[in-house]
Amino acid sequence: MSHPSRALRLLAVALLLTTAGCTATSTTDAKPPTSTSAPQVTGPLCAALPTGTDPGNPTFLASQPVDEALRWIPTLTTFEAALRTSGTLTDLPTGTGVTILAPSDDAFAATFSEDNWDDLMTHHTDQLRTLLKAHLITGTHSIEDLVADGTATTLDGTTVTLIRTGPTARLADRADTVCADYQATNARIHIINAVLGPLPVTADSTGHRAH
Amino acid sequence: MRRPRPTLIAVSTLITVTLTTAPTPANAQRAAPPDQVTALTAHQADGYTTLAWQPVDGATDYQIERTPVDAHNTPTGAPTIVGIWRPNRQINQQAPTFADAGYHPGDTFQWRVRARAGTTEQPYSDPVTATTTAPWGNPATPGEQLRTQWETTHAAQYTSDTDEYAYTTAIDTLSDRVRVVELGRTVHNRPINMLVIGYPTPAATPEAIAATAPVAINCNVHGNEPGDREACLIMARQLAFSTDPRITDLLSHTTVLIVPTINGDGRANNTRGNSTGQDLNRDYSLIRQPETTAYIKMVRDYRPVAGYDGHEFGNTRAGDLPMLPPRHQNVAQPIFDQSQDMIEGHMYAKGAEAGWWACPYGCEGGGNVGLSEETILRNTLGLKNVTNSLLELRSSGGQTRPDEGNTANNRRRKTYSALWTFHQFLDYHRADRADILTSRAESIEIQAANTGRLVFRGSRPIPAHPAPHPGDSPPPLDAPRADLILDNAPCAYKLTDEQYNGARTDGPAGVGTTVAQRIAAHGWKVIKTGDGYYVPLNQPERGLIPLLLDTQGVEKLTDGERVYPTLTGRRNGPLVVSGFTCAANATINGPVTVQTGAALVATATTISGPVSATRAAGVLLADTTVNGPLQITNTTDAISIIDVTIAGPVNLSANTTGTDVPLLAGNTIRGPLNCTANSTAPTNLGIANIVHGPRTSQCAAL
Repeated sequence: MSHPSRALRLLAVALLLTTAGCTATSTTDAKPPTSTSAPQVTGPLCAALPTGTDPGNPTFLASQPVDEALRWIPTLTTFEAALRTSGTLTDLPTGTGVTILAPSDDAFAATFSEDNWDDLMTHHTDQLRTLLKAHLITGTHSIEDLVADGTATTLDGTTVTLIRTGPTARLADRADTVCADYQATNARIHIINAVLGPLPVTADSTGHRAH
Repeated sequence: MRRPRPTLIAVSTLITVTLTTAPTPANAQRAAPPDQVTALTAHQADGYTTLAWQPVDGATDYQIERTPVDAHNTPTGAPTIVGIWRPNRQINQQAPTFADAGYHPGDTFQWRVRARAGTTEQPYSDPVTATTTAPWGNPATPGEQLRTQWETTHAAQYTSDTDEYAYTTAIDTLSDRVRVVELGRTVHNRPINMLVIGYPTPAATPEAIAATAPVAINCNVHGNEPGDREACLIMARQLAFSTDPRITDLLSHTTVLIVPTINGDGRANNTRGNSTGQDLNRDYSLIRQPETTAYIKMVRDYRPVAGYDGHEFGNTRAGDLPMLPPRHQNVAQPIFDQSQDMIEGHMYAKGAEAGWWACPYGCEGGGNVGLSEETILRNTLGLKNVTNSLLELRSSGGQTRPDEGNTANNRRRKTYSALWTFHQFLDYHRADRADILTSRAESIEIQAANTGRLVFRGSRPIPAHPAPHPGDSPPPLDAPRADLILDNAPCAYKLTDEQYNGARTDGPAGVGTTVAQRIAAHGWKVIKTGDGYYVPLNQPERGLIPLLLDTQGVEKLTDGERVYPTLTGRRNGPLVVSGFTCAANATINGPVTVQTGAALVATATTISGPVSATRAAGVLLADTTVNGPLQITNTTDAISIIDVTIAGPVNLSANTTGTDVPLLAGNTIRGPLNCTANSTAPTNLGIANIVHGPRTSQCAAL
């Protein structure tokens, strides 16, 4: 039985109200200060993500730290939780720009069985960090710059090829950008539709374990 | 192997028809196309809109179109097909309804519906325009104005652990109806909180709450299935602050127990299991983990009579809301029947009114799911005599909701369909409270009587309900295998000291609680005599005990020794009980005396004469008749008297069973009932005793 003191509880209420107020303010007033910095996200999935003045819209995210920005993108729950709990992102030297090739939740579901993923998340942190580093590139790079270079080296030491395929970019001949060029403080985020890195596919066709 | 044949017949028939006839009745029918949909209506509810219309003859299915509009009814976005309704998706197929959900609540839309004959689209209905119901609670009213993180972010983010704690604390502070209690902590020390909600205030103690026939909702056991949890948090606010007479009436007749996040570590990591990787919904019987232990102790202390367990499910072909009762064959029949009544009798009927597609979990080719593992909460609760159901929220939009590529739309549909279900659950409890309690009482008496075979694994069949999915296969039969059936149930299991108190390694970090601690968490009676620890089966959770203690148990705790009755048939003359004595189907003519440190366990037995126990280790009687007074004093371990007829006074006094509560439930006592100076007051588990004389002292209310 937890019965926090009344003062503490009132404080919690006040904090909650403040938080809610902040969220509302930041989302409605998150118009870019100048049009020059408004990020232009591109790809077929962008329209299905927060747009315009929705909470979590790309313009708002551009002013957020990268870990916060990732939490706002609703299709990145698996990747975001893995980055956060493994500490992979916080290991980067402070002040270093980073480009994140972020596989969507669908991409993870198509790659790992739930058992396998839970096992990676809870018992194999080193393997998990290697997997995540296969999705991080030092420096902030637009998808246009990456495609222009043709290759990029991820933090796990792998070289990834990038080629333009119509309106999107194809990575390592296995993933396509589905919404590229999110910006965050000192960061770029490109959402991709497949998981990179060396781990085998363990997802089964039924896709879901029983309750 | 039956299916290919009719297909072949159908094909050959078709060929024959095509070859031999030009104008046929079938063609004539096709020439008269189905008409325009008429009488379209839109009814608003929390997070969804029920569209209803007049069905069109010959329609294969219907498309539901939604267009965002402004206050002047001018479109502000593109028309989108958001729903595809087929007649087999609800039990009343002559009154089609579709629960449109996923939009941001409070926005204004125009809807149209059209029939399709095959793939041929018919004309759209006249449009209906309405403003949807905004998120619940007046933004200017304290309490009502609270919002979850999920609501303020328009479903872009789920409510975090810290935001949940702040939100529930705020509700607790601002509402007299709500008390937040901590049931335990996760492996990583996150609080596992429960909202206890009653009107005008919740009862003060677990025992007092148990007397209100509470309902329990377990919102989020798998960390990567958070849709139900958001519904729970919204409903908690509604229950806490709504002045709707329906809500205050509901809360005046029960206590609502909401556990938002039993698996806080898994939720934070977005993993199915807890931080050790353990799937908690495979642990409710074994209770190796602190999270499941907390929940099972809650069930023991608060004694919910009905429950729901929230999940999400990946089968894209399934209904919106697959449900399933406790199917394990050791679940007493009345609890299975009551759970099925809740699902098929109530949820299917109400789902057809609201427009949700309900079906049994495992429907539509759902695979080998919904089986008899007692480790799953659905079955564990059934074995604990709780009417309950699993709730699955279909993860994807599937074949009926094509506009859920947008993650927020998908999340809102799932959460608001769960919110609908949980409200219906409360309504069902309110309407069928008496039946639920009767089923529970009957089941407790059935279990305590310890009759019939035991099944270690195996389910009752779930019939292919004629609707909402005619022709579909039911969930897997999951009949018990022959080697998992025990026809001759023992009287008790005997454990050695090592088995009972020995150290275990099956918990987090290789440390497990003892069998003794887990049995205590389940609330089972245990009797220690000179030669070991006895767990009798004539208890309310008889069906669960062997699954954990029998050598044949599939996921057991230990290999207990089966103990069979020592006293059967007719016996004349005085009986002095020493050691552990088990009577079953016996007729004892003469007085019975239970000696110091001894134990008497009896079922289906008639004792003609007084029964007297002084300083006994335990007395457990069920489904038995005592033709004489019953006197139990100074008992040390356990007392349970269930469904016993006693032709004389009953006296329980100075018993020292510690925290173990003496049970006195469903008995008929032809004389006075007196209970004094017992270390813990006896309980009747909500099953009243019939007492012809006065009830006094600790038993005054039994």
